[in-house]
Amino acid sequence: MRPGAAALKGAALFLIGALAYACGSQGAVSDDVYTPAHRTMSAAVRDYLSIRSTPQQPIPFPHKTHIAKGAECTDCHETVEKGPIAGIPSVKTCMICHSQIATTKPLIKQVTAYSDKGIDIPWQRVYGFVHEAHVRFNHAPHIRAKVDCATCHGQLKDQTVAEHVVDHTMGFCVNCHRQKNAPNDCLTCHF
Amino acid sequence: MDRRDFIKLTAVTGTSAALASCGNPEHQLIRFVPDDDITPGIAEWKPSVCPVCSAGCGVNVRVMDADVETVRDGQRGVMRMNVAKKLEGLRDDPISRGGLCARGQAAIQITYHPDRVTQPMKREGPRGSGRFTPVSWDAAIAELVARLDALDDKNALAVVVRPRRGQRTALFIEFTKRYGAPEPIAYELFSDSAVRRANDLGYGHAQLATFDLARARYVISFGADFLGTWNSVVSQNAAFGEMRQGRKGVRGKLVQVESRMSQTGAAADEWVPTRPGTEGFLAVTLAQLVASDAKGAVRHPDLSPDQAEKVTGVPAKRIVRLARELAENGPALAIVGGPAVAHTNAVYTASAVNALNAALAIDRPGKPGGLFFTPGGEPGRPTAVAPGLASAKLLLIDEANPIYTSPKAWRVRETIEQIPYIASFSHFIDDTTAYADLILPDHSFLESWVDATAESGAPEAVAKSAAPVMKPIHNTRATADVLIDVAGKLKSPVSLPWKTAEELAKSAAATSHGPSAISRDRLPNRPAGRQEPPVASRRFEEPRFDGDPSQYPFHFLPYASPAFGDGSTAHLPWLQELPDPLTSAMWSSWVEINPQTAARMGIADGDLVDVASSQGSLRAPAVIFPGIAPDVIAMPVGQGHEHFTRYASGRGANPVSILAPITDSDTGSLAWAATRVRIARAASADGSLILFAGEKYEKPHEREVR
Repeated sequence: MRPGAAALKGAALFLIGALAYACGSQGAVSDDVYTPAHRTMSAAVRDYLSIRSTPQQPIPFPHKTHIAKGAECTDCHETVEKGPIAGIPSVKTCMICHSQIATTKPLIKQVTAYSDKGIDIPWQRVYGFVHEAHVRFNHAPHIRAKVDCATCHGQLKDQTVAEHVVDHTMGFCVNCHRQKNAPNDCLTCHF
Repeated sequence: MDRRDFIKLTAVTGTSAALASCGNPEHQLIRFVPDDDITPGIAEWKPSVCPVCSAGCGVNVRVMDADVETVRDGQRGVMRMNVAKKLEGLRDDPISRGGLCARGQAAIQITYHPDRVTQPMKREGPRGSGRFTPVSWDAAIAELVARLDALDDKNALAVVVRPRRGQRTALFIEFTKRYGAPEPIAYELFSDSAVRRANDLGYGHAQLATFDLARARYVISFGADFLGTWNSVVSQNAAFGEMRQGRKGVRGKLVQVESRMSQTGAAADEWVPTRPGTEGFLAVTLAQLVASDAKGAVRHPDLSPDQAEKVTGVPAKRIVRLARELAENGPALAIVGGPAVAHTNAVYTASAVNALNAALAIDRPGKPGGLFFTPGGEPGRPTAVAPGLASAKLLLIDEANPIYTSPKAWRVRETIEQIPYIASFSHFIDDTTAYADLILPDHSFLESWVDATAESGAPEAVAKSAAPVMKPIHNTRATADVLIDVAGKLKSPVSLPWKTAEELAKSAAATSHGPSAISRDRLPNRPAGRQEPPVASRRFEEPRFDGDPSQYPFHFLPYASPAFGDGSTAHLPWLQELPDPLTSAMWSSWVEINPQTAARMGIADGDLVDVASSQGSLRAPAVIFPGIAPDVIAMPVGQGHEHFTRYASGRGANPVSILAPITDSDTGSLAWAATRVRIARAASADGSLILFAGEKYEKPHEREVR
């Protein structure tokens, strides 16, 4: 390959990447399907370049405040002990307390407005595996093995909106499994 | 193009694609607050009842969370719900015993069908166009109430239902009673009325029998495709499995008498082709031979094996051997159904098989390997379709499709077209619902209370009712709830014993387990005062056929499709792509022709043939099929719908359309195997025949590519 061509290729990739970053970071969802694995081309490029966007939450949910008041993680992420998925709580869960508590605060009014319209708050996911990683993660056994939530999700008591502070790479999982003598067979995590 | 241009081009298209795919937030669907308590990723199993045929098998439904696109108060959005994912057999079900057939498995597609009627609709185009426009439930119900209130005279209301749909029919009966109208019409193409009539005459039970196949050593079936399409298929398959492999050292023998090999014929040890309509004669001859072997009784002079050979076409030696085997290998059992009782002499044939069972002495109660009647089984209902409609001013249609399943000569389409107002409760626009003025779509069976009372398939009475396994995903309403609502809003309300669909479904168990349930001890007793002459002394009734044999040399056999039955499941794509068990054809219609006949007429596999009766003609590709008598042409029923969703509309041809309006003389039900036809090769293969196996018939354009 001539040096000019390499530069051109590099420039092209950069351009795609930049565009992908610029538009993908809005957390947009469109109906297009680029490949079965990626909805859009930008998603494909971003995945290739390991660019991860910061989710923009509709309401800046303060984890810190709730934990400081003594709420447990499992109070809201209630299915974490029952099944594979911790679950993002629906607005119904918010209203269990907030139909009574702090009802005059502007953010709570926003929550109440969602609830009144029967519409759920469109929370964005912070953690999770892409489908094509073929990972089947199950929360329940980890909770039973008394793994602290913070091990994988960081100290939420210091965060307002949840941030992606721990990278769930394969090395991260395997190291912990080794330390705790948990099975390390491929099929433990992959299908 | 050199590499540089290629890279440039990639960059340009890439960036533009990336720009184009930048999402617009307005495309993002809103999420509704879920109603259900959801544990994501954890499946539950809930019981329900399969709605596809009248066997009423219990199903076990895997229910798990999913995002469902739905409409709430006119707003589109996504809702997380617990929804059905998979249907399996229900292990403790006395009918299905944990099994579920292909049609039952595919029934889940009813709920998620892309062409379901998702909200009430009013007709927009002319009748039969299938064009409808949405209306609100309030408006739809108000309109139906107004139309019902306007009915003045008797017989102004007509109701067409699917037969044996449990308590739903009871609800419609309350309406017909209130308006002084005849009972709901439960027309069925593949009706077993003749068998019910014969069982009523012989045993005092107007219902289909249950057969103890599991303990029989020898079974002779006259036309009944009891492993494929006839009666309670799943329970019969389970029992057949036991008959073959469930006993050490004993393998029951199966003989199938029919002129076109069915799935059951393919599983049989012996296949005995007869002339259509003469199965009864073979049965009485066998009965005579069995009785004379056993007791030295005098043979009826008209029923010699030689005479039987002349009438049925089965060699006399073979008849004698079959009789000997039947007599020596008890408990032996005879079954009748399907094409054998689709002739003008259907009741004779069914009674003749009952006589054979009597000779085999297996209809004594409690005797293993015999036949018995499931207590509390729902009796058959009147089945003639056209007369009840003629005087109607308002027609209610509940999941029946008589325009598709009745011969043209009955003029059902024309009669329905003249009815001033038609309301349908169907959740699909089918050939008949296309003529409706108003559609009040029902929930799918998974979304509603369901019930079933088994007519046969179990030794004890079976009544089931099951709660919805999931919430409705569309703006539909349970038909029972709609009718109860309508009943209360009428000027002079219909008083109903049920307040909700739930109460109605739960009442199924109460009605069938009542003290009047028939006990097994009473089985062979005939009702007092009814003395049916023994069928053996009845003269053989020659079957009558429509069409002069010189002009129409072939018998036409439109048989129940293993995938579609009478066509009611042709809208499910899993069943469209299910290869036919004998020909491997799918997604199409075809005509089965004996190889000798085909060779004589110069017809090759896949060639288009015209099949013409006195009533009309149709065109379909030929399948050269050795399992059919040379003078019989067979065709599966199920395709050829004008309207039945994107998967079935305009696909293939409907063999019912060319049937002659010839009926069984005793019951008045359609003799659907009594039409004669002629065939002619019309054109060479056009690729419309799609076969799963062999790749013998690839499409012409595919051949060019290679």
